[in-house]
Amino acid sequence: MTEWSILWDAREIFFNGLIATLGLFSLSIICAFVLGCVLVYQLEDDSVLSKALRLLINLMRTLPFLILAYLLYYGLPQLGLRMSAWTAGLLALIVYHAAYFAEILRGCRLIMPEGYVEAAKAHGFTPLRLYLRIVLPQLVIKTRPLLGNQLIIALKDTAFLTIITLQELTAAANSVQSTYFIPTQAFVVVIVLYWLISICLELALKRAARFGAKRGFDYV
Amino acid sequence: MNGQAWLLLLEGAWTTLWISGTAIAIGVIFGLGIALVRMARIPFVDQLLVLYISLARATPLVTFVLFLFLSAPTFGINMNRNTAAIVAMTLNTAAFNAEIWRAAFLSFSREQKEAALACGMTSRVFFRRIMLPQMISSSLPGLVNEMSFLIKGSPAIAVIGIVDLTRVTNRISAVTYEPLPPILAAALLYMLIISILLKLQAMAEKKANRLAM
Amino acid sequence: MSEYTSPANVPAVSIKRMSKSFGDIEVLRDIDLVVNKGEVVSVLGSSGSGKSTMLRCINWLEEPDRGTIHIAGQRIGINEQAGRKMNNKELATLRAKTGMVFQGFNLWPHLSVIQNVMEAPIYVKGMPKEQARVIAIELLEKVGLADKHDAFPFTLSGGQKQRVAIARALAMSPEVILFDEPTSALDPERVGEVLTVMKNLSKEGYTMIVVTHEMEFARAVSDQVVFLEKGLIIEKAPPAKFFSNPETERVRKFLEISA
Repeated sequence: MTEWSILWDAREIFFNGLIATLGLFSLSIICAFVLGCVLVYQLEDDSVLSKALRLLINLMRTLPFLILAYLLYYGLPQLGLRMSAWTAGLLALIVYHAAYFAEILRGCRLIMPEGYVEAAKAHGFTPLRLYLRIVLPQLVIKTRPLLGNQLIIALKDTAFLTIITLQELTAAANSVQSTYFIPTQAFVVVIVLYWLISICLELALKRAARFGAKRGFDYV
Repeated sequence: MNGQAWLLLLEGAWTTLWISGTAIAIGVIFGLGIALVRMARIPFVDQLLVLYISLARATPLVTFVLFLFLSAPTFGINMNRNTAAIVAMTLNTAAFNAEIWRAAFLSFSREQKEAALACGMTSRVFFRRIMLPQMISSSLPGLVNEMSFLIKGSPAIAVIGIVDLTRVTNRISAVTYEPLPPILAAALLYMLIISILLKLQAMAEKKANRLAM
Repeated sequence: MSEYTSPANVPAVSIKRMSKSFGDIEVLRDIDLVVNKGEVVSVLGSSGSGKSTMLRCINWLEEPDRGTIHIAGQRIGINEQAGRKMNNKELATLRAKTGMVFQGFNLWPHLSVIQNVMEAPIYVKGMPKEQARVIAIELLEKVGLADKHDAFPFTLSGGQKQRVAIARALAMSPEVILFDEPTSALDPERVGEVLTVMKNLSKEGYTMIVVTHEMEFARAVSDQVVFLEKGLIIEKAPPAKFFSNPETERVRKFLEISA
């Protein structure tokens, strides 16, 4: 059982990695979600800006997350824009997942009956208030399963950042295994941690589903 | 970027494509097998498969590739990088594919089966001629979607030193000291590959919608 | 029409003392029914009376609890020589001798109209493709859909779908065709086209058992009318007698309401 006691000795490395992953994840998805909602609001009208944003969103859907992180971390310094692995990683997570959140919400917006919007307009809602009070809540409730999926994808994408030298959970496992030569145990620990986080996320989403179910929404 | 750099880039793209392609091909079949076994609801085996699917869906590909590549030798299994990458990607994508196939199974209408039995078809003929073709059509959009996810996840194999389309940009910029052009060029190639898959997905969706009477 | 013509004196379907329960609810009780070759039998009754279950027991889509069913003289469900239940293959062989037309059509959506008709002859009977095609073309003409060979089911109206389903059932040259409320899922203006096809079939001598709510059809086309109530056959008579002079109060009431 010596390998497992080594793991216990290395607990601080795992703990720091876990905190880094959780921090990256929560900060990035909150920002990405808000940014995604803003994007969808901007897409409500048909301006040049909207068209450009739509193009950008579609572009993100065809790119691997890591290539965006590469662009920010390795590419931009050539233009004199140098940032830490943390800043680059966080920024990449936000931009990338904001595009996916926006795409999910917009897909639902396109098939939403116009009646709700007209009813709100008839009551004198301003466009912003209409979006925040009437449109967005419905979109979020209806797309809950897809948004939940995206959260888990975002969690897993944080692991890519180990490749641009960010010290998160997977990097922690890698450093423990290279120091103590116990790859199996080290990785089993972090895989179980990832698994537990995603189970917690799923449970939280199930609770959130009750909110929608009480209002008679079906799952999409 | 010179011609040499483009050549390296294309080599990287080829590595990404053949490794992902192999994993996709095995993973689709593997996923169907898992879904079929799960439909049989064999005790213990079923729980084991549920656990596998749950774990595989929650584990980042980067972490899983590293785990397989580094820990296989401690079990006396010697895997080269490419094999480790293919095994990891296959096990990852098969879990998602199994769920896609299973959803198609579960949504299949009982009435169609009755119509087939009433004509005197055996269960085997029914599965082969009536059920499977429709399951392929209705699963295809999901399967193609999962293929593009797998390709978007494929840069994970760079972590064990495979020079794929992402990693190759490091190689090129190590020589040219200009990282931006190769990264943008790689991005362009990814866009191309995944746009084709998205297009295929849209076509598959159109075809699948014809089945919903 | 039928390929394996059995002796003319053997009834197409004969049911003896058939009973069936779902849990505690007895849906069929001691059903006795003989349907001779070329006969059309209409089965009437309010919903929940067990009509559909009776039909589905005939080709063993539901397994009856007691009683025997013979299709053209052959027992279905039980292999009498071996003294055990039939396996899937044996069941399939017998089911191939019955055709069924469902309320919800149940066409196979991935196959074109003509493929739907050809599928069972090819993959159940092992008929060569060309021969199956010739038969399918002929049958589609019979149901008035000669111009729809290559259409897919989702493009058809309900009435057209049901006519394809009838052609599909005919393609196996069945001893008997079971119709399970074939017009109940149709728009009112589409009912006529399906009933016309069924009338023509009866004139051609097909043996048919029809669960239906169409009184006019039952009166004009059937040789026998059977009335089910709570799983029991409470009246069995030629249509002339059934409609003009029913024996039971229940049937009289039923006819009054339906009129």
